[in-house]
Amino acid sequence: VTVESVADRLFTGVMAPLVLGGALTPSRAIGARAALALGATLPTDAELAARVEHARVRRARTLVPIDRLGPPTAAEWALAAALHDLAQSANPAFDAATLRRGAAARIAMLAGATIRRVAPPANLHEALSRHAWLARMLEIARTDTTVSWWSGSRVFLGVEPPARLLAWPELRRVSVSRARRPLLDLAPLVIDRSWLVDGIAEILARSPITDLATCARREPAFAWNETTLALLQRPAGRALAMRVLARLPPSDVDRALGRASRAAIAEHGGLGPTALALLADRAIADAHAGGHVQASAPPSFAAFPTATALATPPAKAEDEAALARALGAAAALRTLASPNVAFSDAERAGLRAALEPAAGQAVALLASLRNL
Amino acid sequence: MIERVALHQTRLHTPGLGLDAKGVALGTRGLVLFPSLDRLVMMLAAYTHEQSLEGLMPSMAMNVVRSKLGAREVTLEIAAESSDRMDRVAETARLVGGLTFTGTSRHFVQYRDGAAPFGYDARELLSTDGALALYHDRFTQSYDIERRIDLRALLLRLCPRLDRTTTLEPGVRIVVAEQGLGPSLVHYLVRSRVEGEACVAEWPPESALSDAPVERWVVRIPELPARMVPLLSSTPGFTCFLPAGQGVAVEAGYRHPIELRACPVFDAAGLVLLRGRGDDPWIIERLPRMGPLTTFARVELRTTHGDGDADGAVAVRTLLPEALRVPLRIDPSSAPWRKVTASWVPLDQFPLLRRLAYALPHATVAGTRVATTARGIFLRAEMGIEAIPLGTFFVEVYPRLFLPAGYDVTPAVSPEVLLRALDVTASSLVFVGSDARAWSVDEQAFTGLETALVEAPAWEAAEARAIERTLVEATIDLRVAPIGLRPARGLEPTDT
Repeated sequence: VTVESVADRLFTGVMAPLVLGGALTPSRAIGARAALALGATLPTDAELAARVEHARVRRARTLVPIDRLGPPTAAEWALAAALHDLAQSANPAFDAATLRRGAAARIAMLAGATIRRVAPPANLHEALSRHAWLARMLEIARTDTTVSWWSGSRVFLGVEPPARLLAWPELRRVSVSRARRPLLDLAPLVIDRSWLVDGIAEILARSPITDLATCARREPAFAWNETTLALLQRPAGRALAMRVLARLPPSDVDRALGRASRAAIAEHGGLGPTALALLADRAIADAHAGGHVQASAPPSFAAFPTATALATPPAKAEDEAALARALGAAAALRTLASPNVAFSDAERAGLRAALEPAAGQAVALLASLRNL
Repeated sequence: MIERVALHQTRLHTPGLGLDAKGVALGTRGLVLFPSLDRLVMMLAAYTHEQSLEGLMPSMAMNVVRSKLGAREVTLEIAAESSDRMDRVAETARLVGGLTFTGTSRHFVQYRDGAAPFGYDARELLSTDGALALYHDRFTQSYDIERRIDLRALLLRLCPRLDRTTTLEPGVRIVVAEQGLGPSLVHYLVRSRVEGEACVAEWPPESALSDAPVERWVVRIPELPARMVPLLSSTPGFTCFLPAGQGVAVEAGYRHPIELRACPVFDAAGLVLLRGRGDDPWIIERLPRMGPLTTFARVELRTTHGDGDADGAVAVRTLLPEALRVPLRIDPSSAPWRKVTASWVPLDQFPLLRRLAYALPHATVAGTRVATTARGIFLRAEMGIEAIPLGTFFVEVYPRLFLPAGYDVTPAVSPEVLLRALDVTASSLVFVGSDARAWSVDEQAFTGLETALVEAPAWEAAEARAIERTLVEATIDLRVAPIGLRPARGLEPTDT
């Protein structure tokens, strides 16, 4: 088995469908060493590679005006190979073969090791390139087909039922039902499901834009991690993040950011200035557009009087969203107080008036946080 | 003495002057002052050029008025129903040099103009016994009415102007013939198969020396043939008139200065004939009953040779006619072709017809019907078959009977008799060829050339497909592949 053949198999079976859609077919596991050895290999199917490049550029152009992303880098090959192996470890055939169950665990473990060897993106272009590959990662789903007929039924997991079972549908009273199962909801699984979730979370941690673009996901839950915070450190990164988040429902984003902020405060005793800067930017943008900062009801901060109280899980998702908006409003007020902000006095006064109702109730909370 | 009415002004000094819905100062009557009678005529001519006087007639009054200084002027009074009507009258009056006023009883103020869009009001009223007091921004004058002017009398006094183009205008003609020429004219018209009706009217003697009334024939011709127009227009003793409105006609070659159709002052039961050259009009107060021209045709009686001869010769007995049948012949004729509506195309020219079909215009293809028989192809087109220059043309000499164009039948029997002699069914068309042989084609056999021409090409259904939506991303479907016997064989961890 050569590196080129593995690269072709990976590109055709996983990377191209991951961008273009269609049948994503993981085959024989690749393993950590082979994944890291793919390096700067180029796909041999130039026509397919061109189509993939066009689709990636199209996705990237929803965020930035860019014309070229280039062939997969070594890190992208490795991440794709790890995703391939994770999907292969969820193959239902492992459940049927008792003697081969251990292989699934080994494949998942090696996939995790591969991901951990991939460095975070060094710059915005690299982050954008990874996002262009992995943006639809959480859309991977398997179609399970249940075929029932007059004398029995059978389930086909991720494969098409044979034509003989579908023949004479009226005479045999054939009924076909299809259900799509997302990657993290696949069953039966031989490995522990948390391995799969952790593996996806690790991949997301290596693609911060994808992490932010899917922050409203159910699991793995969005959390402030170093890669994402590193992206947000620069104004250009924050602008990119704002564009990504603007494509999601604001309430879902607020909820996800509030939940992550709450977890960070509970774990570290505070929220870093980078995350607060993003929240402040969102609050100012909303207030400037007449958004929900001043339109929403004041958050019920009576439930969060102290940092200790914040450590307990919130009772309602609305409270998490309100927490994000309150933190953002308070940070935005501090930002507006700075003389370097490029707002006129009238705009600044208007923004203050819009932000103060939300921030006013968070003052006590913010004062207790160390980093503010 | 007058001032402009301001916007939203509510109080006016002139009695009988109010403000309409637009805020324009308006009385119940409008008055136009003309310096002379000819200006009034110009005004009427200009107004009737586009509109009828019917709306103005009930309230219209024309007077000759005289000022205190003895100057005579002419007024036209109408009901000022709205500022729209007054605007139209004022515009026309301004065109001919008339001044427009509005008021109710005696006091009339200047009607609105460009300088005062809401009109004028008189601050101080004249103390006068005159019938009219007019207030203008240039003068204030009172007038007494000297006499009234009747519109009908005015119209009758106006001389029609010379306009030769009316001679050639189509339509009804009324010809007045002197007493001695009337019967000859009627006989000429009857002989020429010109329809019309005539009556005799009487006028008072033209001279005091004569005591007998003057009688003239009045002939009404709905459609006078063009060839007779010069004759009736230029022959002394005939005067040709064109109807110019209800109950009025103007001599051909002349045109009345005022559009008489817009002046409903003439009685429809009578007839006023306005003559040119300054001659007095002929007026028939009540037109006598008119009879068809044919009733006045000359009657001739044959001469009789004694008693009983007047009843005519009575046949003693009747016999069946002797058989006198002769073969029918179709001979060339010099008569002009009429109703060339069918043609016969021999079978050997059929390919030529097919090629010609590509060159035929749509109107010809749509209007032509075709019947294909063993003797050839018969084409029919009501609008004329000459557009298809092929085959032998046939003339429809009688309904359902066709003869070759340029030929006539001998003996010269009527087509109806010939068709009856041929004894064909009512649904058959008969084509008699130049060799006197007749072919009968059933009318049902004719179909539209349009449908007969088109040879439908073989076709196949083209299934419409939805346009591929390239920007829609397909779903990612995870497929399961066999894992093999040793799925983890050869997998190696990382170096470190």
